Amino acid sequence: MSEWLESAIARAQGINDWLAPKRANALDLLANSQWPTRKTEAWRYTPLRPVERTQAKVLTDEVNLKPIAIADLSAIELVFVNGKFDPSQLADMLPDGVSIALGRDLDSTKQTDALNAFSTIKPQRHLFGLVNDALAQDVVIVTVAEGVDIAQPIRISSLLSLGAESHTRVQVSLGAGARLTVIEDVQAQGDSLNTAFVEYNVAAKAHLEHYRFALQTGTNVAIGGSHFNLHDHAKMHSSIVAFGSDLSRLDTDIIHAGEYADAKLNAMYLLDNKELFDLHATVEHAMANGTTQENVRGIVADRARAVFNGRIHIHRDAQKTSAELNNRNLLMSDKAEINTKPELEIYADDVKCAHGATVAEIDKQALYYLETRGISRSKAQVMLNFGFINELIDLMPNAALAEWVRPIIRERFAQMDVE
Amino acid sequence: MSNTKSLLTIKDLHASVEEKQIIKGLSLDIKPGEVHAIMGPNGAGKSTLGYVLSGRDGYHVESGSVTLNGDDLLAMETEERARAGLFLAFQYPVEIPGVSNLEFLKAAVDAQRQARGEDSITSADFLKEAKAACKQVNLPVSFLKRGVNEGFSGGEKKRNELMQMLLLKPKLCILDETDSGLDIDALQVVAEGVNSQRSDDRSFIVVTHYQRLLDYIKPDFVHVLSGGKIVKSGDASLALELEAQGYAWLQNEPAEDELEG
Amino acid sequence: MTEQIDKALAREYEAGFVSNVESETFMPGLDEDVIRRISAMKNEPEWMLEWRLSAFREWLEMDEPDWALVDYPKIDFQSISYYSAPKSMKDKPKSLDEVDPELLRTYEKLGIPLIEQQMLAGVAVDAVFDSVSVVTTFREKLEEAGVIFCSISEALHKYPDLVRKYIGSVVPKKDNYYAALNCAVFTDGSFVYIPKGTRCPMELSTYFRINEQNTGQFERTLIVADEGSHVSYLEGCTAPQRDENQLHAAVVELVALDNAEIKYSTVQNWYPGDENGKGGIYNFVTKRGICHTNAKISWTQVETGSSVTWKYPSCILKGDNSVGEFYSVALTRGRQQADTGTKMIHLGKNTKSTIISKGISAGRSNNSYRGLVRMNPGAQGARNYTQCDSLLIGDQCGAHTFPYVESRNPSAIVEHEATTSKVSDEQLFLCRQRGLDPEKAVSMIVNGFCKEVFKELPMEFAVEAGKLLEISLEGSVG
Repeated sequence: MSEWLESAIARAQGINDWLAPKRANALDLLANSQWPTRKTEAWRYTPLRPVERTQAKVLTDEVNLKPIAIADLSAIELVFVNGKFDPSQLADMLPDGVSIALGRDLDSTKQTDALNAFSTIKPQRHLFGLVNDALAQDVVIVTVAEGVDIAQPIRISSLLSLGAESHTRVQVSLGAGARLTVIEDVQAQGDSLNTAFVEYNVAAKAHLEHYRFALQTGTNVAIGGSHFNLHDHAKMHSSIVAFGSDLSRLDTDIIHAGEYADAKLNAMYLLDNKELFDLHATVEHAMANGTTQENVRGIVADRARAVFNGRIHIHRDAQKTSAELNNRNLLMSDKAEINTKPELEIYADDVKCAHGATVAEIDKQALYYLETRGISRSKAQVMLNFGFINELIDLMPNAALAEWVRPIIRERFAQMDVE
Repeated sequence: MSNTKSLLTIKDLHASVEEKQIIKGLSLDIKPGEVHAIMGPNGAGKSTLGYVLSGRDGYHVESGSVTLNGDDLLAMETEERARAGLFLAFQYPVEIPGVSNLEFLKAAVDAQRQARGEDSITSADFLKEAKAACKQVNLPVSFLKRGVNEGFSGGEKKRNELMQMLLLKPKLCILDETDSGLDIDALQVVAEGVNSQRSDDRSFIVVTHYQRLLDYIKPDFVHVLSGGKIVKSGDASLALELEAQGYAWLQNEPAEDELEG
Repeated sequence: MTEQIDKALAREYEAGFVSNVESETFMPGLDEDVIRRISAMKNEPEWMLEWRLSAFREWLEMDEPDWALVDYPKIDFQSISYYSAPKSMKDKPKSLDEVDPELLRTYEKLGIPLIEQQMLAGVAVDAVFDSVSVVTTFREKLEEAGVIFCSISEALHKYPDLVRKYIGSVVPKKDNYYAALNCAVFTDGSFVYIPKGTRCPMELSTYFRINEQNTGQFERTLIVADEGSHVSYLEGCTAPQRDENQLHAAVVELVALDNAEIKYSTVQNWYPGDENGKGGIYNFVTKRGICHTNAKISWTQVETGSSVTWKYPSCILKGDNSVGEFYSVALTRGRQQADTGTKMIHLGKNTKSTIISKGISAGRSNNSYRGLVRMNPGAQGARNYTQCDSLLIGDQCGAHTFPYVESRNPSAIVEHEATTSKVSDEQLFLCRQRGLDPEKAVSMIVNGFCKEVFKELPMEFAVEAGKLLEISLEGSVG
């Protein structure tokens, strides 16, 4: 076990609040955990040295951090600053049918519900998921009432000052037939460490539109995830945009807990310098007639390393499932590295499942075509790369977010070290 | 002809799919050498009849009887019915990747010969027959080596069905909307193939929505199927009548059970 | 339909008989003394014994791998006997006339006649019975071409330099748990050497038979194809039907020097255990080849037997322009478990690999493809294409795909595709409507599904493999 983990456990043992039973459970599991090494399947390509070496500390001083503004986006702001929920940034008036509150402030019935739902979606949580269970103190509970359509997105921002450590947790629950858009974002100023997990319970016929931006780069350690539980006829559409950092890891878990649920996931990563980004996307089809479509694309330049693990698990009762995963990668430099592992685990016979993964260079013919039109090679490369990612940005349902992130990605390409 | 023994006799057949009644009291008598056309609007149960007669899983006979050459057809497994001489030309033939047409057909021919107590056909003889059949339906011989229906166009699939019919030499052929999706040239090829197979000991049930096919394959009898039963029978002229009037008039002549209901 | 398929799958294991041969068998147990005795039985050179002992010491420090998707009770390595040989083999029969007729009958029953007049034309066979090689046919003819084909025990005496140079050069002693165990206790196996520029005049084949109870079979095969040579090699294997599980932990090493080509085909039909998973062989095998410049290694396997299979025939594409291929059909039924696939390690420039894997799962079995494609920084212009298709028969089985793709060269191209399907009701209905019985229909559809792999097998064995699949599926449809 690492020193870092020992200290995390020691800190957690000192906390006593409404989450005590769950925390105790997490601590039990942590006490029996091995510190991941190269032989630990879930961390095979993602060394934890940045965690072992981190100097990040929980900071208690009041700081004034605000999430960056996004043009044409008026969101309900749910802001954590260095791990602490900042209620002052939350609107005074929330739309009808929405409630946002700290778990410890809930009345006892609601608190019991929240406690029962805590950490129940993802079956086996990795070490840092457990750390988050144990150390996240400001747990925010978001509920949307049945049948309510919330036009205004909720943005969950976790903001970190230089050298900060934070552990944030949000539980989102959509009532039957409700509609909601949630944006998750982490912004860190360097030398930081954060774990940020959100659990979504999407009731029958509810519809969730989801975004996760992991754009922090540099000397930050960011480990997080979004876990979704889909009930009968529920729908979700998720878009993930990620850059890498010293260590950036996301776990997306989609559980088809009801029939006829539909999940779409579009994820893109663009890595430069010595960045590492690791996306573990797991889909559990536990019930019949579900559909899943995943498109994951990555561009890896310089000395960066990308890790993708895309697992689709079709349980015995999940007949008539249709699930597809496509992962495409472009490697831009001979020091860069991509490790991809699409997995199918299938226990039902009447299903349609397929996955594909490619690692390749940029399309030489397309490059040549652009060059014959007088475009310089490096410019042509940027154009083609951008097009490769832009196809997925175009699929974002929220235009304001797409227009916001597009120039950010363009800028990243411009800086990328392409050969 | 009317004195000869019947080839197929269907008496008061009731059948359902997924607990839904589709065939509701159908009777039909076919003698050797006859061509019967079954026409009717969409959803009348035309394709269901072919599936019920060939014994497809999921198609349940609730009552009534069917005999082929005097034998109880309904008591037989699907493959036994085929070996007894029943052939269904599918409306949408399925693909079987990797299994060559030739291999598939030889296995089918051998299974039927075996059922008759005959020896397997030699590969050389079979190849000769198969090549001739290809030629007759205007399919390149290379189709024998391709996977069953794998990557075939709609017309090629239909001709492939016909080729199988030529090789299997059935006693009763059910052509399920064989004309659907065919252009006029392909339709003629298929019709010629069928006509070449007409003989005193081979009967046809031609299921179709349109009269067009019957310009080329002249039926002895035409039946109108509606609401799961035959509501009108006649000779070839009935088809022309239907062509002129469409099926709308049927709604004015509801089937009996609907009256009762 | 599923019921009928299951019924069809409940076939007899035709190779399940026991031969009545008097054997000399070690008491169960494993320690350095046992290894010394094996080495002494074979009259091995001192270096070989040392090599075995050092592997054994490494093995003691190693852990049994647990990452495969297979589940079986812990193996008690002390309850296994590590050497068993027919008594009649003690005085090394000099010709076929001196071989125990019961042994010859065993192979004949398995369809591998060893008697000169009846031998399969164009195939030389090394017959390995429990821990020893019984006979190798067509030796003179091969010797004329300069080809060495003999048991590895014999090779250790006759060609010690060749063996010493290459043994352990592709699969190092401590490569993995079972490979290390094999290094310590291997008893026999085949050795092949094809001289420079020689095209081996006939197919070479080794047929492995486990007969004795409670023994493990640990064979070791080493094939060296010298520059510009070519060889096609095939192995087959069967075992009696017994209630106890038996361990088979083999190591196969292939060396393809510059411009050489090795085609290695396997038809694996070890006893799979009964419908309830009782008995059967644990087939834990390490197979790997190294390709030098312009060389090619092609693995083709048809896996229908064994209760548990753990096997990843691999290629190290070291030389520029070298080629690796893996074609696999794995059929599991009953309670069989297979975790099989390949590793393609691209080191050289413009290296190419192709992986075609067809998994068929039926009954309550689990069938996994596990593969690794690695493009190292030096693998300029390298290419891989992988296709994994699974076919599920019934709703009580599992089909899984675990491909690892690691690329560190921007000019390398890796493509992986996987699909899953079932024998559809429509396909089955079409076949039956044409008069085929359901069993024949399913075996035909399954054979069609495997066609891309079968066409890679040497002719004689493609037919055998098709039949094997047919027998395996007999009674399985509805």
